[in-house]
Amino acid sequence: MLSYRPGETFVHRLDPRSKLLVQFGLAIAVFSRPTVPVTAAATLLTLGMLAAARLSPLAVIRAYWVVVAVLALGPVIAGVALGPPWFRFEPALRSARAVVRIVPLLFVSAAYLTTTPVRETRAAVQRLIPGKAGQLFGVGMALVIRLFPVLYQDISEVRDAIRARGGERRPFYVRARLLAVRSLERTMDRSDRLGMALRARCFAWNPTLPPLAFERRDYPVLVLGAVLTLSPLTLLL
Amino acid sequence: MSQEYESVDLVGDETVKQFTGAVLIAALTAVLAQLSIPLPGGLPPFSLQPFGMFFAGLLLGPLWGGFAWALYILVGIAGVPVFSNGNAGLGYVLVGQGTGGFLVGFFAGAVVSGAIVHRGLQPRSLASLSVPMQAAGCVAAVAVVYAIGVPWLGSVLGLPLTRAASIMAPYLPLDLVKLAVAVGIVGGGSLATR
Repeated sequence: MLSYRPGETFVHRLDPRSKLLVQFGLAIAVFSRPTVPVTAAATLLTLGMLAAARLSPLAVIRAYWVVVAVLALGPVIAGVALGPPWFRFEPALRSARAVVRIVPLLFVSAAYLTTTPVRETRAAVQRLIPGKAGQLFGVGMALVIRLFPVLYQDISEVRDAIRARGGERRPFYVRARLLAVRSLERTMDRSDRLGMALRARCFAWNPTLPPLAFERRDYPVLVLGAVLTLSPLTLLL
Repeated sequence: MSQEYESVDLVGDETVKQFTGAVLIAALTAVLAQLSIPLPGGLPPFSLQPFGMFFAGLLLGPLWGGFAWALYILVGIAGVPVFSNGNAGLGYVLVGQGTGGFLVGFFAGAVVSGAIVHRGLQPRSLASLSVPMQAAGCVAAVAVVYAIGVPWLGSVLGLPLTRAASIMAPYLPLDLVKLAVAVGIVGGGSLATR
C-alpha cells in the first residue's frame, strides 16, 4: 500500500496544488489523445517524476498489482471470440493500447501519494474550492480521516457481536441488513455527538489555515500542468 | 504587542447537523468499502460499499449526499486508503480495476436518489416520505451507477459496450439483492427515525 513518506526531494517540496494540476492535466492529455507517441511520452515523463520522487516503478506496480493484473486481462477479454478463430488480435490490440494509457496515471498518482502529506492536500482543496464550500471540504476531509479508524472499530464490534450471536449461520442478505442497520445507528449517534462538539467549540467559517505558498520551483511545474490540461485544444487547430 | 481582532462567523446549527451527517456517512462508506461477505460457489464477494450511496441519498438529500461522496473520493485522492482493498490515489479513482467509473457512479447515484426522494436540495424527514418513493430513489441510484460505470469500464479497457456489460453482468444480481436489502431497511422504518 502506498502512503506518504517524508523526504526532501524536489517533488516533496513542490506545492500540492502544482502536483494536483499535473495529475489532472496528465489524465486529460492521455485520455484525449490515446496514441502511442502520447502514451510513450507520458510514461517517460512520469518515470522522470518517479525518479525525482525517489520511488521505484516496480514498487508502484507491486502496490497496485491487483489493479494491474485486472487491467492486463482487458486485452484477453477483448480478443476472445465465441466462434472461430476463437481469438481476434485487432480488438485485443485496441484494448492493450487503452490499458497501457493507465500506466502513467498510476505512476503520477503514486508519486503524488508518496510525496504529499494528507494535510497538505486538505489545505490545497480548501484553497482551490472558493468560499464556504472549500471551508466545509477542508474541515470535512480532516474529520473523515480522523473518524475513519474510529468507525472501523465501531463496525468491527458490530460484526463481532453479530458473529457471537450465531450470525454466521444466517443468510448473507440478513447479515448484510443487520450489519448495515447497526453500523448506521452507531454512525448517526457519532454524528449527533460530533455536531454537539463542533457547536460547543464555536465551529466557524473563518478559522486559521495551514500556510501554503508557491515558490519559484513551482512555476515550471504549474506551466507543465497547464500545458497538459490544455493539450486537447491542439486537436482543434 | 499587536493583536488582531476578527469577528467569528459561526456556522448555523442546521448546516452543522447536515455537515456532520455527511462527514460520518463518508467515513462509514470508507469502512463499508473494506468489508464484504464471502459467498459460496465462486461468486464475487458481497461488497457493502453501495449502502454508503443509498444512505447518503436517502438521509442527506442530493446536496449533502453528494457532498458526503465527494468528501470520500477526495480523502482517497489525498492518499488515505479508503477505497476497496485499501487502495488510494487519483489513479484508482480514474481507472480502479477498470471499475473507477463506479466510484463516480456512486457519487452521481447518491445525488440522483436524494433528488428523487427529497425533491429539493434540503433533506426532509424520511418519516414524511412514502416508502415507494424511497425505493424508487434506490432503483434510480443503481441504474445511474451502471449507466456511468459500464461505459467507463469499456473506455478504460478499450472494450465495446456489450463486452463491458457482459463483464459486469455477474455483479448485477448481487446489486439487485443490495437494492432489495436497502428497500427492506427503508420499509422497516430504521431510517425514518433519523
